[in-house]
Formats: sequence, structure tokens, C-alpha cells
Amino acid sequence: MPEISAAISCNLDANILLASVPLFESEKIEALEWSFDTLFKTAVFPDWFNELLHTFAYENRLIGHGVFFSIFSAKWLPQQQQWLKHLERLSTEFKFDHISEHFGFMTGENFHSGAPLSVPFTSQTLAIGQDRLKRIYNACKCPTGIENLAFSYSLDEVKKHGDFLNQLVEPVNGFIILDIHNLYCQTKNFNITFPDILDLYPLQRVREMHISGGSWEDSKIVTGKKVRRDTHDDAVPAEVFEMLEYAIKKCPHLKYVVLEQMGTGLATTESRQQFQQDFIQLHHILHKEDNSVITQVVQDFLPATIFDGGKPIEDEQLYTQQMVLSNILETANDCTDAVQQLQKSNLSHTDWDIENWQPYMLETAIAIAQKWKNGLPKN
Amino acid sequence: MKISKTLIQAMLVAVTVGTTVSCTKSVDSKPEKANIKTSKTGSDSTVVTLEPCFACGMG
Repeated sequence: MPEISAAISCNLDANILLASVPLFESEKIEALEWSFDTLFKTAVFPDWFNELLHTFAYENRLIGHGVFFSIFSAKWLPQQQQWLKHLERLSTEFKFDHISEHFGFMTGENFHSGAPLSVPFTSQTLAIGQDRLKRIYNACKCPTGIENLAFSYSLDEVKKHGDFLNQLVEPVNGFIILDIHNLYCQTKNFNITFPDILDLYPLQRVREMHISGGSWEDSKIVTGKKVRRDTHDDAVPAEVFEMLEYAIKKCPHLKYVVLEQMGTGLATTESRQQFQQDFIQLHHILHKEDNSVITQVVQDFLPATIFDGGKPIEDEQLYTQQMVLSNILETANDCTDAVQQLQKSNLSHTDWDIENWQPYMLETAIAIAQKWKNGLPKN
Repeated sequence: MKISKTLIQAMLVAVTVGTTVSCTKSVDSKPEKANIKTSKTGSDSTVVTLEPCFACGMG
């Protein structure tokens, strides 16, 4: 097993930087994950931020994590082409050790608003996702990967996610980011054990893990049901650290574990101290001697060749369904209203399997879509 | 990993004099045009607005 680096998700955010400075000073931050597409409104970075990125890049310890590409959008968007050009330019400026994106398609008409939601696991969606990952690889020319999604509509979907991710990255010989808090959400939301979920993932593909905190939301339609959400605004739960320790030993090609937290959750001295404690605990776990796993095969997570750009794969029917679903989620008055609209829509009795969606998760999807439809929520 | 003291000092100056913008007060308080303000190349006074990583679908 290669040495595993303790990393933070860092960007031009005052609260994140204030929380991170003591960790930089103590030289405990071993790698930096940068969501390079979130600074789309910023033409020029401050000198010191450029230097920070270059410092980590020079040591092959800068990793890029996209947010807005929307790999499962069934229609090829001009903004996706621009996103690729931006990535290509950044990849010549900064030497990324790898690039990753999120699973799902983005709700919302604006490219930079909305939230990522799942898609049916079909041959059509697989072809679209594989096509998009090839394009990302062509742009960055470094290992390319995808992160598991926290949100699922059903237990059946939870159980199929890992295998679908494996198929998705296979053509680019890509990697998977295993977000432990996302899996934690699924254990809580669908009453499945962590080892059982982990067994369903291609762990030999895991090159990066994420840990973070989140929040609980009471379901309004299922009495007593609390839904765990990956809101990145609180401390890492002790159970997530336990899951991390369990998972590390099963992932022979793990290279990075990233602590994620949004700046909005780091506004107070106490929250920044908690962030620092979480990172020190992460660092301690990664540097325990018993974390070694014998690796038989060297894995560079690179495909054999550059791919033919060609015409992007599109699916008009799927795109229409994505737009209909986005609209319903963003405008529904409540879950009952959404169910009625979905039953009358072109998603009814299709691979979307809306008939088997858990109502409390549909309720959550509505909350997520409506929270993010205008971009950054107003506090 | 070792970071130069000069760089850490520059980061500290940036966050303490407000040359970065926290998510909590970024979008709401400024019109979009102001968010793109980048007065000179490589300037330490660049003001940015971060669109946060809501990530992973459950945010």
C-alpha cells in the first residue's frame, strides 16, 4: 500500500483558511484537494493562493475535485465544453495528481446551481457517464475518478451503486472516491450495515476517501424517521472515524483521505478547533503502523490511450426526463404533490423506478433541489 | 508537508484583512459584478466569491 496522505478540502474561503492555518504551520497537511471549478467568478487568484497550489502540485500532492460538470446530463451542454477547456488549461498550469467529479446529474437550469441527483443504472446512462469521464481524462491526462453519491431513492439503488461505479470508470481505468460519510448516511437512511455496503464496492478502485460531518432532518411524512444528510457543516461523527479505520485496511490502493467541511460551518473559534481536532485524529489514524495492506499489483489508474473525442453521447428522452424531474423537485409543494406529478409524468413506469422510491428520500430530494436551485443558499 | 513561513504569513494577512470572502457573507452582500473584481494580475487584494462544494448530493 502506498503511503496515505492526510488532506483537506481547501479553497479561497476565509473560514476554511482560518481553520487550516494552524495545521499548515504544524506541517500536518500532506495534500490539498481543490474544487477548481468553484472559483468560476474569479479571473485571477491572489499570489499567495497560487503559491499554495503550486507548493502542493510540485510535490505531486494537489488533487482536483470538480463540482459542476454534471457527468450524467443526457444533453451535451456548451458549459461542459467550457468546463473541459478550463480543466485543460489548469492541468497545464498545475500538475494534478488526479482529477475527480461527483456522481449524478445536476438539477437546475443554471450550470452553477442545482444539486447532483442519481440516475437509473442503465446501459444508456452508463454510456453517457463513460463518455464524459473519457472527456475529462482527455482534458487532464491524469488519473480520473468519480465519487460515490450520498443520496439514494431506495435500498436497491444503494446496493447497486458500487458495481455501477466500477463499470463507469473501467474504460478510463479510473478510480473511486469512497466518501465514508456518504456511506454513513446510507447506513442510517436504509438500515444497512457498513460492512455490508462496503462489500458491494470495488475497493481495489479506491484511491481517495472523504470524511466529513453532516446533519439530521426529521421526516415530515414518516413519523420518527430522521434522514441523515451530507451537509458538510459539522464535526466528523465518531462512527465515521471507526468506519474509516475499518475501510482503510480493505483498500490496497488508497492514497488520500480528505477532510471536507464547508466554510459556513467554520464561522466560530470552537468549530475551527473542532475541525483541527478532526484533522489531527485523521492524521493519527493514517499513520498507525497497522494500516499496511500488501499490494500485489501496481495500479497507476491510467488508461492505455487518449480517447477519440468524437461526438458526445446524448439521449433526448433521458434529458427530457431529467428536466421534468428537476422541475418537479424544485417546485413541488410537498412530497404528496411530487408523487402525484411524478405518477403523471414521463418517468412513470420507466427505469427511474419512481414507484419504489422511499417517500422520505423523495422528501429529501425535494429539500435538496429547492435548497440549491438558486445556487448558494442564503443564511 | 512543509509550507514556507512567508506563505503562511501571506495567508494570515489575507484572511485577517479580508482578501478572501467567507461563504457566509459572500453572495448576499455583493452584486455579481463586484464578485468578479480582480483589479490587477496576481494581486493580493483580489476579492473572490466562493461557490461552496455542496458535494455528494445530500447537502
